[in-house]
Amino acid sequence: MARRASSGGEPLFGPDFLTILERLDLIARQVLHGRRQALRPSSRKGSSVEFKDFREYSPGDDPRTIDWMVYGRLGELYVRLFRQEEELDLWVLLDRSASMNFGEPGTSKFDHARRIAAALTYIGMANMDSASLIPFDTETRPGLQRMRGKGQIFRVMSTLESLEPASRTDFVRAVQMFTSGAAARRPGMVVVLSDFYGLQAARTALDRLRFFKHQIHVIQLVCPWELDPPLRGELRLVDTESGAHQDLTITDSLLRRYKTAFEAFSADLRRYAMTHSVGFDRATTQTSFDEFVRGLLQRAGPGGLLA
Amino acid sequence: MTLLAPWALWFLAIAGAVVALYLLKIKRRQATVPALDFWLALAGRTRVHSLFERLKRLLSMLLWLMIVVGLALALGNPIVSLGRVKPRAIAIVFDNSASMQTIEGNASVGSDAPRQTSAQNPFTRFALARKAVDDLTLHRPVTDQWLLIEAAREPRVLAPWTYDTRSVRAAAASIQPFGGSAELQPAIELAKQLLAGKPDPCIVVISDGAAGALQPLASADPTIIPWPIGAATDNLGIARLAVRADRQHGNYRALLSVVNASDQKIDSQVTLRINGSASSVELLSVEPRATWEKTITIEPTGDIARNGGVLHALIDRPDALPLDNEAFAILQPIRPAVVWLVSSPETAFFFEQALGAMDPLVSPEDSLTMSLDQYEALAAATAGASGQAPITPPDLVIFNNCSPPSLPAARHVIYLNAWPEQLQAPAAGSLEAPQLFLAPRPHALTDHVTLQGARLTKARKVTLAESGGARVLAQTAAGDPLIVLFEHPDRQSLCFAFDILDSDLPFRNAFPLMLRNAVAFMHEDAPPYLPPEVRIGETVRPARPLPLGATTAQLAVLRDGATREAPTPVSDRSFTFTDTASAGAIRLIAGEETSFAAISLADGAESRIAPIVLPPDQDPAVRLSLSRGLLAFGGVPWVTLVLLVTALVVLEWLTFHFRWTE
Repeated sequence: MARRASSGGEPLFGPDFLTILERLDLIARQVLHGRRQALRPSSRKGSSVEFKDFREYSPGDDPRTIDWMVYGRLGELYVRLFRQEEELDLWVLLDRSASMNFGEPGTSKFDHARRIAAALTYIGMANMDSASLIPFDTETRPGLQRMRGKGQIFRVMSTLESLEPASRTDFVRAVQMFTSGAAARRPGMVVVLSDFYGLQAARTALDRLRFFKHQIHVIQLVCPWELDPPLRGELRLVDTESGAHQDLTITDSLLRRYKTAFEAFSADLRRYAMTHSVGFDRATTQTSFDEFVRGLLQRAGPGGLLA
Repeated sequence: MTLLAPWALWFLAIAGAVVALYLLKIKRRQATVPALDFWLALAGRTRVHSLFERLKRLLSMLLWLMIVVGLALALGNPIVSLGRVKPRAIAIVFDNSASMQTIEGNASVGSDAPRQTSAQNPFTRFALARKAVDDLTLHRPVTDQWLLIEAAREPRVLAPWTYDTRSVRAAAASIQPFGGSAELQPAIELAKQLLAGKPDPCIVVISDGAAGALQPLASADPTIIPWPIGAATDNLGIARLAVRADRQHGNYRALLSVVNASDQKIDSQVTLRINGSASSVELLSVEPRATWEKTITIEPTGDIARNGGVLHALIDRPDALPLDNEAFAILQPIRPAVVWLVSSPETAFFFEQALGAMDPLVSPEDSLTMSLDQYEALAAATAGASGQAPITPPDLVIFNNCSPPSLPAARHVIYLNAWPEQLQAPAAGSLEAPQLFLAPRPHALTDHVTLQGARLTKARKVTLAESGGARVLAQTAAGDPLIVLFEHPDRQSLCFAFDILDSDLPFRNAFPLMLRNAVAFMHEDAPPYLPPEVRIGETVRPARPLPLGATTAQLAVLRDGATREAPTPVSDRSFTFTDTASAGAIRLIAGEETSFAAISLADGAESRIAPIVLPPDQDPAVRLSLSRGLLAFGGVPWVTLVLLVTALVVLEWLTFHFRWTE
């Protein structure tokens, strides 16, 4: 039988939580080989010290960019183009819908997601230009934006601890609200922590994030109950978000179909991510958050958080 | 079909509950899921509203209804008749008398069988009778009504009218052997009364014939169907062992009666033992189906005459009925009488001599001769001593030519030429030279006495009241009473209306004989605490109240050469003792008194074990239409129902399993 996790029970962040975060940060620094995360090159052309290309002068261009040496040789005005340097922001979008509150108390999907969110925010604050934590349900909720420096971690932890699961979720509307902000329109790294029920709506929301050139990484939270629900017999199933119910006879056959369908749902999400250059990971609540984050950091190539 | 326990139909109410639960839908367990739409997309075919699901639920409900109905019917213990044989009301009379403990076949001479109790030995007629009950009840239609009566000393209904043959068999299995004679006729009469109004009644008497008592009963009533048990006839048994104390001679007379129930002459012997020691051996030769009797004089030795003892008669010959091969009887103590002679010294000599010649009937040590004044002083002292008198109270007081002003305390008194007024037979004048004749009716007091020609000088003329309790033993030719015995509940008085010494009786044997008879007749002991004879199986209670303050009766059972103490609680100066299942003796010590009771079968009818023989057309199996076919199975349909219910439960479980694992 499914059990809804309560906010009580073991503390969300244990006494050694910060130690774990420091260890994860060290791993993140090793992965970055000492480079400042904020100096990532941008694909957009702009003004910086690193030359990228020439183009013909057109009225309105900054006359300081005219390459007089080329004019001397060719007699035509060309302006120099430089690779633009821009700041890299980390946005952690945390799903706080009721469906996230599944699992054993203290190890629910929501608890697991909050710990992962804290770890990623910490790494972002330490190694990137800024890190933001945005909880959402039917819309985005006030979170913590553009934090810099490790010292902000206590605010992050306090904010996460104060979060309670809401009722329903509307991922599309939440993303709309998120991208309506000017800061979020600038491309950055967006990590979405959710169970992604309602895959079609999730695709729409992720497409909108992709539209704003965000580097997206989705983390699907899964608890053991969802992988193998201990249900059998004549049951009344109640939706944890909407409260809608339905009487069903849960048979072995239905359970087998459920497991197959759940894996297919997860595979669809993974397939979407692969085909749209979106990073994907599945975090089960059985795996400790630091182990999950360590794997996320160390993974090279597409899908890796810092790749 | 008939239900033996119709109350079980109340369990059908559970069926209503089952239907209600299925109709109202059992409240489902609630489970919260993260995304209901996800499940609904998968489980479209498993919704409860689908027709297939409803059919499955309907099948489950029907199976449970069948299970409930099957269990209720099984609990109701139904009986089903195939209708081939009409139902009857059958009363079984079970003979559990002593002869039913006869051991049949070779087991009768075996070494093991007799050691078992009669209820356990499978070779006894008793066990065969139990099997007969089983045979009878198992092979009659289940629609028969049954009644079981035990024909013990008093008929007893062990199983009232019932269709449940198992209860009849259980009641038959609980019957215990009875060591006495069975009263078949009262049992049959009881069965007839209980059969009144029943359809096609019959009485099946399972018996060995009760020494021929059953045959005439069965011939007189066609509804009586004897069910013969047994075939053995070889039995030599003690039919009677009784002992009487002969006070006049100070010894015992034992009557021994032995019955030969077989068809062959038997030569054997009976060993008599007194208190465990061999006393004598009586050789006997008994003709077929005859009785041998002998009166044996037993001279007491040691303390037997004073303390009494147990006489044990034993036939050391194995036969079919070991129960009657031994018998016990009690030798009661013989106590000499204490006689007080109240007379003037001048006239006492003749009577003193007569009493002195009566040893051992009269105790010379304790008997006294005294004057009337001495008597009154001694009587007053004896009465005032309240049981602690230094002088033994008299059993008999003889007043010669005198009488006390009031009736003496002694219960037995002889008045010689004295006639107390309290006897309500006043003397009115005198008779001159009357002739003495014995009364025509004999009496123990006049045994061996001849008074013919006795000469009297004169006698008192006495007129007896009609309701005075007087019996004339001798009278004149005119009918005037001369020797009269007054018998009242608490007193016996023998009155002579003449002076003995003024007649020629002192020169004849008649008077000493009559005086001896009087001492023997009027001397009695208090009855013992235990009844001297107890039949096997009979409950023993004291014959008179035990001493005040007694809380435990010090009883002991003397059996098989051993003594087993059996203290028994006393309630209201009485007790109940039931360990009388086999022959032996019981000893009771109450205060300073020891008394015995003998436990014996000693019943000639039970020793005649030859069973009843029926002609072939009277075969009870034919008369009762016993069947060995399917009718026997009809008696246990509840077993079938239980099996059916079990199958239904398995089926329901399988469908349940199918429902969840399809």
